[in-house]
Amino acid sequence: MLIIIGLIFIFPIIWMVLSSLKLNKDVLAIPIKFLPPTWNFKSYYNVFTSQGYDFPRYFLNSVIVAIFAVLINVFLSTIAGYGFAKYKFKGNSFLFIVILSTMMIPFQSIIIPLFVLIKKMGLANSYLGLILPESLSGFCIFLMRQFIKSIPDEVIESARVDGASEFRIFFSIIIPMSKLAIISIIIFHLQWVWNLLIWPLIVITSPEMRTVPLGISLFSGVYFTPYPEQLAAGVSAIAPILLLYIFLSRYFQTSINITGLKE
Amino acid sequence: MKRKKNSYYYNKLQNYGYIFIAPAIIMFFIFLIYPMIYSFYLSFFDWNLVGPKIFVGFKNFINLLSDGRFLNSYKVTIYFTFLSLLIIMILSFFLALSFTANIRFKNILQSMVFLPVICTMVAIAIVWKFMFQSTGLLSYISSIIFHVKIPWLTSYTVAPYSMIFVYVWKAVGYYMVIFLAGLLNIPEVYYEAAEIDGAGFWSKLIYITIPQLKNTIILAFTSCVIFTFSAFEQQYVMTGGGPSRSTEVLGLLIYKEAFEYNKFGYGSAISVMFFITLLFFSIIQLRIFKSET
Repeated sequence: MLIIIGLIFIFPIIWMVLSSLKLNKDVLAIPIKFLPPTWNFKSYYNVFTSQGYDFPRYFLNSVIVAIFAVLINVFLSTIAGYGFAKYKFKGNSFLFIVILSTMMIPFQSIIIPLFVLIKKMGLANSYLGLILPESLSGFCIFLMRQFIKSIPDEVIESARVDGASEFRIFFSIIIPMSKLAIISIIIFHLQWVWNLLIWPLIVITSPEMRTVPLGISLFSGVYFTPYPEQLAAGVSAIAPILLLYIFLSRYFQTSINITGLKE
Repeated sequence: MKRKKNSYYYNKLQNYGYIFIAPAIIMFFIFLIYPMIYSFYLSFFDWNLVGPKIFVGFKNFINLLSDGRFLNSYKVTIYFTFLSLLIIMILSFFLALSFTANIRFKNILQSMVFLPVICTMVAIAIVWKFMFQSTGLLSYISSIIFHVKIPWLTSYTVAPYSMIFVYVWKAVGYYMVIFLAGLLNIPEVYYEAAEIDGAGFWSKLIYITIPQLKNTIILAFTSCVIFTFSAFEQQYVMTGGGPSRSTEVLGLLIYKEAFEYNKFGYGSAISVMFFITLLFFSIIQLRIFKSET
């Protein structure tokens, strides 16, 4: 019974892959052809050598943005998580609630002012303009704080007694002990950044700076709709994350689990 | 050398906390909090980005309340959000429940349900758009098996449901994992004790499972409302607002007003309404859940 449900969930993805390898006329032909009657591997070739759409460049852009956005996110989340978790200072709770409440500010409600801001900073249509806003995640800070809270205070105290500086404690103790949480937030944030359309859509104006989702949304033919090619582009976009998931699936689920549901 | 917890040195040490959280606080302020505030500010102006900002006071808001397009969009978004919320919460909860039992292939099945969550929405939207076309797979199935031609994306009555269908398909896995985590945290002993007292499936569910899941449910509900209310990419790629604006959600309208019609002030006013609505929902949800002890 559950097998049927599982198949329903995965079915469109399978259809997508299969159809990306069909000939244009077979994708939406009647009667429905599930398997490609003739295999068309050229569709992927067409996508990546397409004249008007430089997909290899789009992938490069997406990779660059994703790597830096995730790096910055890990940096911010780990140090802030540690700061909130292990230090008692005035305003700790208040500022943490502020960070948490930014989780309630979805991109949609700030796209206009954020765009104006980025433009004023001269970062429109640039890598930084994409990376900086996309590197922030209140959820990741929350996650790190929850996780770091569970690190025993004695370990930190004894390191202090031994004369370690606060930063030394952070790098040599906290980080190694938080590997699980760090990997989880990397994966969680990575797939969000990779898949993001709305922000690149607004900020990017020149074709060579486009990211993959943006490229796909614009990808259309001049005289006819290139169905297999569009699907091939889609599969190519999903493939990296899919591969990551297959190898690291337990971290995906862990990242949602470590939300500290028992407060 | 043992330090007392109340020593002066220890207290000074706590100030390091400020250093650690500073980068994040600064970044969040610049790129999230300040824009939020600026959004409120902009909503009182009429602005097309290149010209001067013209102060119009509350005119944008007054116009909004009589703007049929905005009211329609608001209605569409609310309907989309709450219907999706209902279906997703029920489905993901029962799926999570099923996965707590010991079934063969559990991990693979779980992964299959979770898979759509991580796929790029743009790619997903394209696939479903094809499947919904009049010569697409779903139309084929519905006409052969049910002998009915369903205008999935071409009818303004059906299109919203098609969107909900796709959204639910994509999102269920995420909330299933959240519920699963919560379910696995419930100590077995409660159930064992209940079974000794002769409790059946539904009794166990109502008296043990759901109360124990309170925090999980809060998390799932609030994040679902926020994410679903902010839907944009799906509608942008699949229907562009749909037949007769039947799928024009607020996220899409904000984008259009600002970046297609260049009405940045008006768009900001819509953003403000958007945010206030979300705030309102979150507060209500917290009230409801806090009061159920």
